[in-house]
Amino acid sequence: MPQSDTVWFGPMLTVNELSKNYGDFVAVDRISFSAAAGQVFGLLGPNGAGKSTAINCISGLLKPTSGHASVAGHDVVSDGKAARSKLGVVPQELALYDDLPAIENLRFWGKAYGLGGKELNDRVAEVLETIGLGDRATDLPKEFSGGMKRRLNFGCGVVHKPPVILLDEPTVGVDPQSRARLFDLVEAERDAGACVLYTTHYMEEAERLCDSLAIIDHGKLIAQGSVAELRAKLGARDVLQLTGHFPVEPTKQAIAALIERGNADLEFLAQQEDSITLTLSQASQHLPAIYEAVAGTGGSVTETSLRSPNLETLFLLLTGKELRE
Amino acid sequence: MSFALSSFRKDIARWRQDWVLTLIWIAIPLMVGTLVTILMGSDVKPSGTLLLVDEDETFFSELVVGAYSAGELGEFLTVEKTDYDDGLTRVNDGEASGLLVIPKGFAEAFLEAEPVTLTLRTNPSQTILPGIIREVTEILLDAGFYAQQLFSDEIETLTSMSENPTDAQVAAIAIAIQNKVEVVAPRLFPLVIDVEIVEPPQEQPAPPLALLYMPGVIVMALVFSANGLAGDFWKERELGTLRRLVAAPTFLGEFLAGKALAAALIIAIVGGITLFLGFLYHGIGWAHYPVSLLWLVVSGVALFAWFSVLQMLFSNQKTAGVVSTLLVFPLLMAGGSFFPLAVMPGWIAAIGRASPNGFMAERLTTEITSVAAGAIDASSWAIVVISTVVGFGICGWRLRTGFARA
Repeated sequence: MPQSDTVWFGPMLTVNELSKNYGDFVAVDRISFSAAAGQVFGLLGPNGAGKSTAINCISGLLKPTSGHASVAGHDVVSDGKAARSKLGVVPQELALYDDLPAIENLRFWGKAYGLGGKELNDRVAEVLETIGLGDRATDLPKEFSGGMKRRLNFGCGVVHKPPVILLDEPTVGVDPQSRARLFDLVEAERDAGACVLYTTHYMEEAERLCDSLAIIDHGKLIAQGSVAELRAKLGARDVLQLTGHFPVEPTKQAIAALIERGNADLEFLAQQEDSITLTLSQASQHLPAIYEAVAGTGGSVTETSLRSPNLETLFLLLTGKELRE
Repeated sequence: MSFALSSFRKDIARWRQDWVLTLIWIAIPLMVGTLVTILMGSDVKPSGTLLLVDEDETFFSELVVGAYSAGELGEFLTVEKTDYDDGLTRVNDGEASGLLVIPKGFAEAFLEAEPVTLTLRTNPSQTILPGIIREVTEILLDAGFYAQQLFSDEIETLTSMSENPTDAQVAAIAIAIQNKVEVVAPRLFPLVIDVEIVEPPQEQPAPPLALLYMPGVIVMALVFSANGLAGDFWKERELGTLRRLVAAPTFLGEFLAGKALAAALIIAIVGGITLFLGFLYHGIGWAHYPVSLLWLVVSGVALFAWFSVLQMLFSNQKTAGVVSTLLVFPLLMAGGSFFPLAVMPGWIAAIGRASPNGFMAERLTTEITSVAAGAIDASSWAIVVISTVVGFGICGWRLRTGFARA
């Protein structure tokens, strides 16, 4: 169980109508969500969506323009010190002293969160083993691989056993093996009872780790719920993307004719001169009819992409663009 | 305070990875200080060499040679005989202040009251000593002229004598000269105008200029140290550790206190070494050492606080570095680190004394030149401590209001 000097029964993390403006630019636009202990809550969105800004407002690095965020019942602005004492932050950019041994990095950040004496020593030893750097404790981070630095970065964020952990895209630039290791660490913290807020633009990470998540784009939350609930929004619809040459109007009419004939429960998602994106159920069975319709317009298909319903296709459905544009 | 100690230990551990930089902070001021001290010497008096080419090699030419090394003139002028070519080369190379050529036949011309030319060639890169040599030469020539006028009969008698005059002839000339001196002396002595030089009573000898320069050299080392240490805030920002710090519940003041303690230790090392060498060289009483070192540490930490503020005011490290460099060297020049304040024009010295490093150097000068230890006044200590607190307060504010975010 995570350490706690007070008993708090509500959500460990609550964000209510949180906004952050930079002049006229709205980076975060009235987002609201909550996360409970023993849960990984994902914030999924493309680069520039506002994920890091939201995390920075919760962690105290930025002051929100409006709205509130609270950690274990402590408002991050009015009761900031208490809120920060319950938080562990694993930032997107590494935050390590590369000229200080790994063990000293952990000790320093443990001290920053009030640990000391035997408790600190025991916890540092435990974290070193957990992150797999027990045999590199006295080495300098500047000698580590990228994955090892990321694990130490994670360790420094959780050394004080926080009940709430903020992870801001922790696997950026990390090799698959280290990424898998980080996933294990996140799941271990969740299983130990921590509330984890995990931001990412990788759909597969969100699908693997998150118990519930919110999809954010241009500062707004556009969908929220458990992974199963969000998938249900898609129904059982596939996303079909054709790349090639498509005369715009004739292609639109041809597809509309298909829809009228009831050959497929087709829906247009997007159309450009060199691509069309459709959503329909059991797309593989309707491919011949779609190819024939396109060929009849004088167009040609050079590439076909068929994706089963997932969060990325949900994002595409909701925003009309790819998650990783 | 436990986190302050952690912050201190962390900075010292990191400084130990890069301690070589500290050697540079010490070495540059020591080099500058050594050079200037050697130039100034431990005494104010200038010294130089007068090269003499005596082609006459007579009693009279020896009198001329002796005149330049007599009395107070001999304390700062070394007379050396040489040949013309060597003398000319050395004067042109700047090794001597002047070259005086006494031509062959000088004595004969003096006794026969005939014109004779003494050639004086001076070092063009000097002004004081060559000017002294020129004036002394003119005085000697005037003295020779008056001697010729006063003792013209005796000189004529001498020149008409055979090469081996009898004792009676020499005695007669000596008596005649003595008689004339006895007639003239009462008209010259005592002098009608007597000059009395009144100097204020001194409890202790005035300190040599090189000693007065020493504090400026030491403060230079501290300025380099404080500015270098302040740059660590940018390094921590790039490492991302300031972001993590601001997200932690710890009081930022403890983090800054740790940095201040680390800076104090490093400044104590830098200041302690340079101060020790200065005390050793100038023979300053060791009773002044502890207070002097404490002053350096306390005021050095104040410098560190304000250099940190300067670093944090700018949006990027490059601009911060350029501005601090543009500020450091004029401060050092005005504050007496390259030239002693005592030799500067009054208005520049006034600006220098008002600068932070000039303020530090002046108080250090007070301490090392006073009779008893502990001469720095309480208000100076208070100014330094208050400015330190204010400086770090601004640093904490900048950390919270955006500097921590890369």
